[in-house]
Amino acid sequence: MGFSRRNVLQLGVATAALAGFGGARAQDASQNADVIRMGIAAKGPRYSDPNLTTQGSDNWATEQIYEQLVRPEDGTFAIKPEEYLPTLATSWTSSPDAKTWTFQLRQGVQFHKGFGEMTSEDVVYSFKRAMTSGTNTTVLSNIADVVANGPYEVTITLKSPDALFLGTSVFNNNTSIVSKKAAEQMGEAFGTDAVGTGPYELTKFDTQVGTVMKRHDGYWGPKAKISTVECVYIADTSARTLALLSGNIDIMEAVRAPGWVASMQQRDPTLKIDMTVPGSFNTLHINLTRKPFDDLRVRQALMHAIDRPAVAQALAPMGGTMAGLQPDFFPAGFKTEDLPEELRYPYDPDKAKALLAEAGFPDGISFPSLCSQREDYSSTMLIVQEQIRLAGFNMDLRIGDHTAYHADNRSDKNTLAMHSSSYPPIPTQLYFQQLSKQSEVKSDGKGGGNYSHYGVVMPGIDDLLAQALQATDFETYDEICRKIELQVLRDLPLIGLSTLSFTTARRGNVDLGYPIKSGYARWRFHRATKTTV
Amino acid sequence: MVRYLMWRLLDAVPTILLVLTLVFVCMRILPGDPALAALGDNALPDQLAAFREKMGLNVPLWQQYLNFLGGVLTLDFGRSLMNNTSVLQLLVYNLPYTIELTIAAMVMGVVAGIPLGVLAATHRNRMADSGVRVFSLIGYAIPDFYLGALLLITFSLNLGWFPINGGGDGFVDRLHHIVLPALTLAFVKAAFLGRLTRTSLLEVFGKDYVRTARAKGASERRVIYRHGLRNALLPLSTGMGLSLLATLSGSVAIELVFNRPGIGKLLIGAITERDYAVIQGGVIVFALFVVLVNLLMDLVYIVVDPRIRVT
Repeated sequence: MGFSRRNVLQLGVATAALAGFGGARAQDASQNADVIRMGIAAKGPRYSDPNLTTQGSDNWATEQIYEQLVRPEDGTFAIKPEEYLPTLATSWTSSPDAKTWTFQLRQGVQFHKGFGEMTSEDVVYSFKRAMTSGTNTTVLSNIADVVANGPYEVTITLKSPDALFLGTSVFNNNTSIVSKKAAEQMGEAFGTDAVGTGPYELTKFDTQVGTVMKRHDGYWGPKAKISTVECVYIADTSARTLALLSGNIDIMEAVRAPGWVASMQQRDPTLKIDMTVPGSFNTLHINLTRKPFDDLRVRQALMHAIDRPAVAQALAPMGGTMAGLQPDFFPAGFKTEDLPEELRYPYDPDKAKALLAEAGFPDGISFPSLCSQREDYSSTMLIVQEQIRLAGFNMDLRIGDHTAYHADNRSDKNTLAMHSSSYPPIPTQLYFQQLSKQSEVKSDGKGGGNYSHYGVVMPGIDDLLAQALQATDFETYDEICRKIELQVLRDLPLIGLSTLSFTTARRGNVDLGYPIKSGYARWRFHRATKTTV
Repeated sequence: MVRYLMWRLLDAVPTILLVLTLVFVCMRILPGDPALAALGDNALPDQLAAFREKMGLNVPLWQQYLNFLGGVLTLDFGRSLMNNTSVLQLLVYNLPYTIELTIAAMVMGVVAGIPLGVLAATHRNRMADSGVRVFSLIGYAIPDFYLGALLLITFSLNLGWFPINGGGDGFVDRLHHIVLPALTLAFVKAAFLGRLTRTSLLEVFGKDYVRTARAKGASERRVIYRHGLRNALLPLSTGMGLSLLATLSGSVAIELVFNRPGIGKLLIGAITERDYAVIQGGVIVFALFVVLVNLLMDLVYIVVDPRIRVT
């Protein structure tokens, strides 16, 4: 009884044959120089309509398909308004009060799939749908009207001045220019069947697998060098990593955890790592309604107890430091040495202990705190937990499901709530979402992202924020925002822990055609080239 | 027989109803807000409120429950909260992948496990028996997701023999994609069935009728297969049924490791996002599968052992 040698041989031949017929396909991405495959860290695409996307990863596709009136240089953020480049608009002007913006449109821009030339009618339509039915109507609520002055000119009037209008509302996913004709013709189907003007056009949208795009041959600028872009959704980090290492995909969204970059480069030294700076802003909300954190001395002690450069270093090379709430090269950003000495808060556990003792807690304090299990949250908070323990803060960290964590934060259940979010170089967006009275968290879950209750249980930055939002020029805006930074550092409702770069790992045979320095967590592939391996 | 089947199917109705109710209640008790999961951490209160309104999450729970049950009866499982896709469409897309993985793993597990068990039983306390027992021990001990990763690294990453992820397109490509995930699940299954076959056969070999068959001069092959294995089939069929259910639950981890489409992967993603409609749809499929496998096992008992009569 048992297998004969013949049986074993037959089994071996059958297995080899089965492996052989697809063996070449297993490496197909690296062998096809005309396809770029991106491994996305999510389970599947939700929408390809930039006005509906809420899953950040879907923007890898919309970034290729759509364009806005203006854009920054590839791989960067435009820090100042003058750094924006003409895109679908060739030029623009704004009124002295920064309330009226007029754009001259590029002529001859063709939409995908034969939907004709882009005109002011499409621009007006795109802005109006974003203002009324998009996922970001709040930011666009400052727009009073959008009107066409002939086929190639559009005027946008605002309710309040916005010196950074190009950044807040024009270079914005929601106001990507869509074909009016296509959107009206397709109706609901437009959500997953995009028609834009970008260097690639969507050819396949599969909610379970991903998206496929081909070169837009009617593109107004230099045509994309690689003919096909595929966004393959691989949520599992190990599966995504193996896919990259095997050559099944060319680029992958990274795992933003300590040591990940080093371990990847150890496995394959030819891999290229692309990172945006700053990426996410990791902030720590101190709940001012929970004793003893209502005492400024306790908050100061906490600030001295956290070694922020060490937190950033632990996340190296993805981590970066923030002296306040903005990176130093952003508007309102400070270098530590430029801050008043009393607002620098160097790491000093002894001083932290002394401040705690002064506040009436010579033996330290104990408190529970919730944390998400997601690697960037848990790794950061575990580091913070150990640092502050040395100063007498015994934080009972309860790590749980990411979705539940955010729901708990939104229901005011946390004491020290870490938040990770990306922002463009428009500081008022962070101040509004995380510090304004209007965004105060509510126990019924219907509030916003101000988990500290700043501006409610103590005077906040709301007046300064209102002034910043009325600024008619960049310099004034910047100056008021710097005052906000200083006030927040004095009151300490929110701590800027570190920044965390958006990171991708790329196979060595793929050249993006430009360096990634800054910008949102997505970049275009129209300048990319690839060699076979 | 038909009447018996009808009764068994009717028996399953309260079970499925209970499962549906439990899932409905549990998902609502669990912390986590589908609106926040769909719109992101920075969503503003008015955006969240509009989303809840649009997706019917604002209506009272009892009404949501009745809507859900009414939908199930008409095969309308609702739409995904994340991308508005029909849940039925998602299930129809993913189910074939899970079924083909389950069947492939089952076939591989049975084809490897039963002969190994026979080999061990017929070579008791010899090298072959020890080998099978060690194999079974390893099979039990090694987690399937870990084994899957090992196979993936060895055969896909290092040797490049098999695709690293996905479910494949077309018959041949799908067959190629299924080998490693099925092998992973089959490994555990073969260990379990090998051990079970060995134990069952050894018990049967001690029976009087086996001794009698040998005394009558029956060939060893006839003794093993006609008298031994045939009588060991009853516990084996129970084991195979349980193993089939275990394969289904095991497919959840395997679909993730191999990034294969399937009901397990769909469910895990939906749970993470609190996508109620998809979770409910996925659980219905799992519940139906359990009921069908149990029914199948009952039928197999009748075929295998004529002493079992329908009462």
